[in-house]
Amino acid sequence: MTIANKASRAPKKLSMKQRYQVLTRDLDWEPTYVDPKDVFPHTEFEGITIHDWSKWEDPFRLTVDAYCKYQAEKDKRLYAVLDGFAQSQGHLTLTDASYLNAMKLFLQGVTPLEYQAHRNFAYLARHLNGPGPRFASLCQSIDELRHTQTEIHTLSNDNKYYSGFHNFQQMHDRVWYLSVPKSFFGDALASGPFEFLIAIGFSFEYLLTNLLFVPFMSGASFNGDLPTMTFGFSAQSDESRHMTLGLEAIKFLLEQDEANVPTVQAWIDKWFWRGYRVTALIAQMLDYMLPRKVMSWKEAFELYFEEQMLKGLFADLAFYGITPPRHVEDAIAEKEILSHQVYWTLYQFSHAAAFTTSVPTAEHEKWLAETYPETFDKLYKELWDKERENIAGGGRHFVRGLPQLCQVCQIPMLFTEPGDPTTICQRESEFKGEKFQTCSNGCQWIFEREPEKYVQAWLPVHQIYQGSCGGPTVPDVLAWYGVQEGDSGEHRGSLDDRRWQEWHADSVKEGN
Amino acid sequence: MQYELRTQVIEPTRKTFDNLVARYGDRPASRYQEGSIDIQPKENFHFRPLWAPDKEIYDETFSVLRLTDPYSFLDPRQYYYAPYVTSRAAMFDAFSATLDYLEERGMFDRLPERWTELFQSVVLPLRHYESAAQMVSCDTARFGFGTTITQCAAYAAFDRVGNAQLISRVGLSLGGGSADLLDAAKTSWLQDAALQPLRRLAEELLVERDWGVSLVALDVADQLLYPLLFTHLDEVALDRGAGSYSLIAQHLSRWFKDQRRWLDALYRAWTSDPELGEANAKLLAEIVDTALVSGRAAAESLAAGADLLVEAGCATAVDESATTVRAFFTSVGVPVKENQR
Repeated sequence: MTIANKASRAPKKLSMKQRYQVLTRDLDWEPTYVDPKDVFPHTEFEGITIHDWSKWEDPFRLTVDAYCKYQAEKDKRLYAVLDGFAQSQGHLTLTDASYLNAMKLFLQGVTPLEYQAHRNFAYLARHLNGPGPRFASLCQSIDELRHTQTEIHTLSNDNKYYSGFHNFQQMHDRVWYLSVPKSFFGDALASGPFEFLIAIGFSFEYLLTNLLFVPFMSGASFNGDLPTMTFGFSAQSDESRHMTLGLEAIKFLLEQDEANVPTVQAWIDKWFWRGYRVTALIAQMLDYMLPRKVMSWKEAFELYFEEQMLKGLFADLAFYGITPPRHVEDAIAEKEILSHQVYWTLYQFSHAAAFTTSVPTAEHEKWLAETYPETFDKLYKELWDKERENIAGGGRHFVRGLPQLCQVCQIPMLFTEPGDPTTICQRESEFKGEKFQTCSNGCQWIFEREPEKYVQAWLPVHQIYQGSCGGPTVPDVLAWYGVQEGDSGEHRGSLDDRRWQEWHADSVKEGN
Repeated sequence: MQYELRTQVIEPTRKTFDNLVARYGDRPASRYQEGSIDIQPKENFHFRPLWAPDKEIYDETFSVLRLTDPYSFLDPRQYYYAPYVTSRAAMFDAFSATLDYLEERGMFDRLPERWTELFQSVVLPLRHYESAAQMVSCDTARFGFGTTITQCAAYAAFDRVGNAQLISRVGLSLGGGSADLLDAAKTSWLQDAALQPLRRLAEELLVERDWGVSLVALDVADQLLYPLLFTHLDEVALDRGAGSYSLIAQHLSRWFKDQRRWLDALYRAWTSDPELGEANAKLLAEIVDTALVSGRAAAESLAAGADLLVEAGCATAVDESATTVRAFFTSVGVPVKENQR
């Protein structure tokens, strides 16, 4: 037993790195009463080899006390903004009630993903063998819980005045377009710990975060949504920790063993395309749902993906033998058509959604034509011109049938053949004598890699036909979704629109 | 007299989210409720986990202990993230103030030598126990069923690594800034006979696959260790001129009091479940009886080590704690066995 020699207690201060090491990593020991393999049973089946967990470079060195102090201060400021905005009826200063469609999509589609990230980073915090990555994962786990709750609390006030927010959890579990983000994340949750690290830690949090998450926050700032913008800023320092974790994760796996490289490459290929398909919902949000535009999808894609990732990140990863993701050329080729195709579909199916849509205004169309000079006037303007005629004749267009969904991304089969924007792309694969349809080369490749996984998909349209969604008619299904009057359909003249007009008419009358 | 501010008043069309209206009626909900109740996805999971193809992604059969309605359990502390980190920031501020004071006044140097040794051979190695407790809590945070339970477990996991860091900082301070004492404590954890029953207990918790079983077994061990080390020895330390031991112990016993609040509520929820209460009580009795055997072995061995150093009646204290534990479980309807010795 060592006893401190009191006489020689000259202060030998540890460096920050050593101190962090002592406070986190040195807590581990090699078990002897049980088989160490039984303590970590999840880190072998994926075929990843880790020789030395201690080679993990801690991407940030936060101790628990510093973390709590910093986060508590951030939350104090955030909740003060939320309270102030609520008290002053700040929602009346938004650009328009239709802006909130973006936030409805966010609460229904993104917030539940934050929650699931929370749960699965706790899984990594339990099941990774190294104490360094376990602690980093634990921090991220409770950060993600923070984001879940601060997002709910931020949008809770909008729920008090507007439609579409009131039942977001059940909608996430049941509604057709929300099965796109839900099945994406479920795919990652059903994977092993290393694939999850690449799927979410790297692809979602690093590669695509500026396309997935940031557009909502920027949209908020351009449309007078102070609480959401404040939330976005408040999450920024958490997100930058998550990005560093994602980057460290991929480097660690690649450096540990050369044999990991092809596995990691395949995961990057898969999760790039999986994540990219989810961004289809964001693309239409940026180009169509925001009353005041931030930037077009095309610009966002060029800046955040082509510039920063393809030219920046993948140039660095080339050192390890990693190449840009498979099918990336299909994504690039779609950048001028994606948002238009997706919004046109959502427009026609919004009677069965929990957001509202409208024909673009003349001013909006002008912006679309200027931003998409190659495609908008040529391919999409006539659709809206015709729709305006329909509306003038009293017949706003909704599709009454149900669309076929892609077996992998679960988006209706609306995408077109590469290089041919007028022919719908449909790929067919066979598994155990059954045929399965996918929307693209990317989704087909993913399906054929793991058919036994994707045949399990809970496809909303199939489920409706099988009678598991409340009944055979649209009103039956909507009731089962928990959709209420005012949640869906055309925005002009909707409950939210009418209230918005009333509230603003009142303030003019009162001379406020 | 107060001035009158004119504000635009708009009546809200809803008070809160539908699920909370269905549960609690049409009235405003708290932030705890909005951020916790029904947040875990419930259905249509798409894919079975590759590592557990017989389970759903969230599956109540990850434990034998179940609730008919998982949200019949609510955290009495009503912690969602913001109040949780706020409370912990204050706890760590208080701890840092204590540690600064002890360092400034050279209090560790004035500690009777046997109490210094107690810190080294009994308290410092517990940072490894806390580390195992962190992993056990993470297991519940992932595999537990229902956000109100898993949320408490996630915070508890963070608390446990916080406790480990707190103990480590004491070790650094006692060691005059160097990590030598912590290295020695790790060797003790691996080799000292007095610590082996506790290390065995910790390792066995890490191979338990049922999150409910490991959570309860860990808590039973905690209920024997924390009162011994941070309540009983705290009292004795004050009588023996080992004030700095007491100043440190207060922070851990205060944390443990906070931790008990959600766990005690969880036991009550399990045993008072309208459909599963009886089954849960029987299962809990088995789990607690088993956990008391290994927990007592660990605590008694530690107590014997402590008594050798400071002769503080630790063995009796463990006996008393075991009686308290049994009385507590009996009071919440768990038919634990009488003292088995």
